[in-house]
Amino acid sequence: MRADIAVVGSGLAALVATRTLQQAGRNPVLIWPGLTSLYFTYATVDVLGYSDLTATQPVEQPEAGVAQLIADHPDHPYAVAGLDALRSGTTLLIEWLRAAGFSWQGSLAHNLLLPTAIGTPKPSCLVPDSMAPGDLRRDEPIVFCGFHGYEDFVPELAASNLSRSWGRGEGSVRAIRVSLPGFDASRLFTSIDLARSFEDKAFRQEVASRIRREISVDGHRLGVPAVLGLTHDSDIHSSFATQVGHPVFEIPTLPPSVLGLRLFDRLRKHIQESGVEMIWAAPAHEAEVSDGRCRRIFLKSAGREQPIDARAYVLAIEDTVDGALRAGVHTVVDPFFRQSLAHHAVPTERTDESLFKPQPFASIGYPVTDRLQPSDDAGRPLAGNVFVAGGAIAGYDPVGTKSRGGLAIATGYRAAKEAMAA
Amino acid sequence: MPDTTTGVVVIGGGSTGAGVLRDLSMRGIDAVLVEKGDLASGTTGRSHGLLHSGGRYCVNDLAAAIECVEEGRILRRIARTTIEDTGGYFVSVSEEDEAWVPRFVEGCGKAGISCERISVEEARRREPALSKQVRTVFWIPEDGHLDPFYLVMGNVESARRRGAQVRTYTEVTGFNRDGNRVTGVLTRDTMTGEETTIGCKAVINATGAWAGFVAKLLDVEVKVVPVKGVMVVLSHRVAHATINRCHKPGDGDIIVPALSVAILGTTAVRVPHPEVLPIEWEEVRHMIEEGSLMADGVSTARAMRAYAGVRPLYDLGAEAEGREMSRNFAVIDHEQRDGIAGFASIVGGKVTTYRLMAERVTDLVARRLGVTMPCATAGVPLNDRDDELDQLRHRPAQVGVPKPHGDELALQPLVCECELVRPQDVAPWFEDPAVRTLEDIRRRTRTGMGPCQAAVCSYRLAGRLVTDRHQDGPAATRAMADLLETRWRGVRHVFWGSQLRQAQVTAGLHLELFNLDRQLMLEKSTAPAGHFPPPQGEGQGGGVEKAEVASQR
Repeated sequence: MRADIAVVGSGLAALVATRTLQQAGRNPVLIWPGLTSLYFTYATVDVLGYSDLTATQPVEQPEAGVAQLIADHPDHPYAVAGLDALRSGTTLLIEWLRAAGFSWQGSLAHNLLLPTAIGTPKPSCLVPDSMAPGDLRRDEPIVFCGFHGYEDFVPELAASNLSRSWGRGEGSVRAIRVSLPGFDASRLFTSIDLARSFEDKAFRQEVASRIRREISVDGHRLGVPAVLGLTHDSDIHSSFATQVGHPVFEIPTLPPSVLGLRLFDRLRKHIQESGVEMIWAAPAHEAEVSDGRCRRIFLKSAGREQPIDARAYVLAIEDTVDGALRAGVHTVVDPFFRQSLAHHAVPTERTDESLFKPQPFASIGYPVTDRLQPSDDAGRPLAGNVFVAGGAIAGYDPVGTKSRGGLAIATGYRAAKEAMAA
Repeated sequence: MPDTTTGVVVIGGGSTGAGVLRDLSMRGIDAVLVEKGDLASGTTGRSHGLLHSGGRYCVNDLAAAIECVEEGRILRRIARTTIEDTGGYFVSVSEEDEAWVPRFVEGCGKAGISCERISVEEARRREPALSKQVRTVFWIPEDGHLDPFYLVMGNVESARRRGAQVRTYTEVTGFNRDGNRVTGVLTRDTMTGEETTIGCKAVINATGAWAGFVAKLLDVEVKVVPVKGVMVVLSHRVAHATINRCHKPGDGDIIVPALSVAILGTTAVRVPHPEVLPIEWEEVRHMIEEGSLMADGVSTARAMRAYAGVRPLYDLGAEAEGREMSRNFAVIDHEQRDGIAGFASIVGGKVTTYRLMAERVTDLVARRLGVTMPCATAGVPLNDRDDELDQLRHRPAQVGVPKPHGDELALQPLVCECELVRPQDVAPWFEDPAVRTLEDIRRRTRTGMGPCQAAVCSYRLAGRLVTDRHQDGPAATRAMADLLETRWRGVRHVFWGSQLRQAQVTAGLHLELFNLDRQLMLEKSTAPAGHFPPPQGEGQGGGVEKAEVASQR
């Protein structure tokens, strides 16, 4: 198969790169390896939540924070991609979300501060409308609402933690539970089952009236697990809030992630409907390189190998999550150039003793040139027409600073621009 | 004056101590068990879970082999719910191994072990996982998997129903004496620091590898040699039956299919202290390589974690060390040996023979107390009934695995999807005062022992700490983090392949979606002491690395 530009990946970086190419009038093909972390743990776009790993004070202005980060760390992927790529990529994403029918809030100017499912304030930059009323920069009291028989969101846990770190006095954070019509607590149900049920108007109305009975005072806002509809989030959210009579916000919780499903299924569908060819569940596993250029890559699909010949390639693989990088016992190898990206004498070297500290393995990836080309040890590009975006770039770990989404946007945008010029 | 009095204090909450507690309670003797950590958190819960047919010992340690044969048959009657009757293969994979075969056959004969030689073709038909290197195969129907956690809990619950008491996280710091007679023990709660005195007529030291430290508090010597064993857990069973290498027992020569996983064992390294159990990469690598000689799929299976345990080998004064030492046990009558009345130690042995060990030491102490009732533990099932489903084998059926057509068995809610643990399986333990950490819940229910290593269920358990145990958010969150950290300690040693993906999902969920790292930083200075503080406390003989730090099964 021949293509103009091939984008390989299954995350936000791949989507932003593809959309950037499409908007520029190019003809990208998106090669999506399969289910990824987006379906498990995705909810918001975090650009920069904390300035470093030890900071407990959130970053208030992500754009200014990233500018400072770039000034302090000229090798950081944000510095390589550039602040302009973050700005342009963010604008592109916001417009795309609107075009695809989403209602999102936020800008690079300010982070929102939203309570998590354990009741910890967390800074995020772009969030769905359905999460925004939880913003802790506002003072209205919060009621967390859980559902009987649903253990994937525990309002009492969230309320107890949040009342200590944020509480605005007596009764400003509390927890309630209601039972759900038609749900038997002795039977298994998941967030997906709940999300489907919330698409039903009568179900919503009944749940709302049960909640109203539990909240007697005005001026509260209600935090619920993110199950308000599987596809039509914004309508369901606003009509439910009206029925409840209080502002309502969704809180992402245990997998599967309804917010991730909504977002990526719809963006994927939208990009396909607008004419981008997409190849599903086909991991790319080899590249043919000659004269300093990548000639083709090979996909594993349905028992055979499919070559893709493109003029340029964007590798927006999600480091190890989609299995793109192969971790042997000692060596981590990339699937395209068969480069040894890391070598460890013993497997424990890949990790910290604590799960809650930065993990060496999370920084494994391609070293890149200043144009985001994967490079060898001497800094020379492995192929002049290949560009890396997102988690597969070496040397950084977005977990501690809560910057995964912004890095995906900035590098996805920049890699797409470079691919067009290649 | 003691704070409470009882008949006998049992020190040690492993299989031996739990067996002693049950034995005492069935003879009508009041007893309190004290354990410095959780039940089954020392040697027992770190075993590979092989229910020994005796085949491993029948050449070098005939007495131990005979005990295994007899006790294995008793356990199949009384502890049915803790056993998977898998049967086992003894296989030779080299010429050197084959030289062992005649001695093995002779040993089995002497020990009375059922043993049938089958052709390699027949063996492979029954057990396709057997490797191409396999040359000779024996079928040993009485090998199996003995779940060490259920075994200990089964004994303890049986004793509790008869009035015995259990105090976990309670270490013995000294003894009360009246002349040469022990009259009580001084204890300290390792979490709250609370000190208590328990008056008693006798004390049984069932602390295994720690027995020397306890005896030292009375200035008597018990020489136990702590020998470390490292094990690797694979994410599925690999084989239907246990697989043993038919050779002189050595490193990495057992594969035990245990519930949803397989356990590869083990090594034998003498260590300076029972709580110093480092896991070396060479040991992990060796387990996998040796396991691969016996069964296909060992090297390609997903290794989920590694852990280390310690054998409590009793030093009879022989030159032999480690594996060469007898797996026999000894009852030490300190009245006779050291002139200290009311104190006995039970040392050596193994999980398979725990009941016999308990019987012997309880016989001695009961006799001294003038109790004539004989041991009854071999005749009464642990659950005191005989009509229950076999818990291990029928768990999926209880949970209700959905059928592709029809909904006669609806799937029940699950707290832990990996191990099929239901809310009603965990709920009672939140009411048990002996349960103080989420690791304790794990040991009692298997929650968090599957491939995700508590990434998902830890949140649900933390929620139950708030709703069922009325903990505050920070304490519950800390407990959730502690559970993830203790799991992580074992995961790190087998960190390749899809383990990296799993770790990224765990980090994505807890650190990104929940912001758990910041929650821990925020609460660091203000975390209150509750029932679920982080693991702490000096070990008996203290000052060295803590038991909780070493990776657990």
